[in-house]
Amino acid sequence: MKKTSTIILRDKKYEVKAGSTLRVALRRLEILPESVICVREGELITEDNIIKEGETIKLVSVISGG
Amino acid sequence: MKCKKCGGKAVINMRQHNMGLCKDDFLQWLPEQMLKHIEKQKMFTPDEKILVAVSGGKDSLALWDMLQILGYQADGLYIALGIDEGISYSSESQRLTEEFAKARDLNLHVVNMTSDYGIDLPTLAKETKRGRDKPCSSCGLVKRHEMNRIARDFGYDVLATGHNLDDEAATLFSNTLQWNGDYLIRQHPVLAERDGLARKVKPLFRFYEREMAAYTLLRGIEYIYDECPFAEGSTSTQYKELLNQLEHEHPGAKIHFFTKFLSAKKKGLFAEPTTEIVPELHICPSCGQPTSALELCTFCRMMEKSK
Ligand code: SF4
Ligand SMILES: [Zn+2]
Ligand SMILES: [Zn+2]
Repeated sequence: MKKTSTIILRDKKYEVKAGSTLRVALRRLEILPESVICVREGELITEDNIIKEGETIKLVSVISGG
Repeated sequence: MKCKKCGGKAVINMRQHNMGLCKDDFLQWLPEQMLKHIEKQKMFTPDEKILVAVSGGKDSLALWDMLQILGYQADGLYIALGIDEGISYSSESQRLTEEFAKARDLNLHVVNMTSDYGIDLPTLAKETKRGRDKPCSSCGLVKRHEMNRIARDFGYDVLATGHNLDDEAATLFSNTLQWNGDYLIRQHPVLAERDGLARKVKPLFRFYEREMAAYTLLRGIEYIYDECPFAEGSTSTQYKELLNQLEHEHPGAKIHFFTKFLSAKKKGLFAEPTTEIVPELHICPSCGQPTSALELCTFCRMMEKSK
């Protein structure tokens, strides 16, 4: 059985399919890549990276208001 | 994606520049670009004393960090507003700012609303009934007044804030939607010294918010991630999201919107008002700052009202 991969943004967790790029995953979740930074194991990565099986990608929101 | 400079693994893709960069090259590129714009816009020189308004957020801490790297003389100013509704927003951002300064042995001024003026910002806004349910208009007023005061009292030549391109584009969008001529005329990354108020500059005005977040993360700078509780659902956040949608479809849309505004203005798109319309300024008898009011300035009137 395939292990699911996860994307985390603030306190929300999304299950995503491994094997597609982050760009595709973000589009499916309707998250604009312009508004986040993707972090894999503490390292910043670009959206053309392919999501690995079972991994967790953290998104850092970049918009601050006020 | 590959780094455009060295071919290594890119950590950020800046579609508006058609360029991806690796960690080392990005951390070198950003301060270099900032230096270029500081010099081009004649913001300040290495001989001048800079006061940086720091909030504990990513932009102002990154700005302070880059000014150090570039060898400028920059001290910080933190204004403790006492916004601790539910989350400890003010106390946490103050802690992070103080830690940043201490770790780098930097000089930080702290103004504390509660101990210096006897009232925190949310209470002040409530008691003076400014701005209905949000204290943002009082907040802006307090910040401006206190920045000017510290700059004058300690003899700083220039006041720097961490506004990035997304902040400026959102403000421009808002002012354009309302055809707010007064604000459009004044919106600029450099405002000359005027009536005894220090020059005001925004050295990050060419950088996307996303680049600033990447910079702070890559430099390992700890910043306050939570927003001010009053920022939630603000129009400026809505405008930023709208502009990001546009940016997504048309990379560079945000930077063009703002920089083309600046060049159109330079060519005379907006005429300066003739001298008769410019209000005559007086000196506030209480704090000594210039004001268009004949008596106390808006800040001092607000403080009077809260007593
Ligand atoms: S959202 Fe910004 S302006 Fe409004 S109260 Fe908070 S810090 Fe002040
Ligand atoms: Zn490189
Ligand atoms: Zn006054």
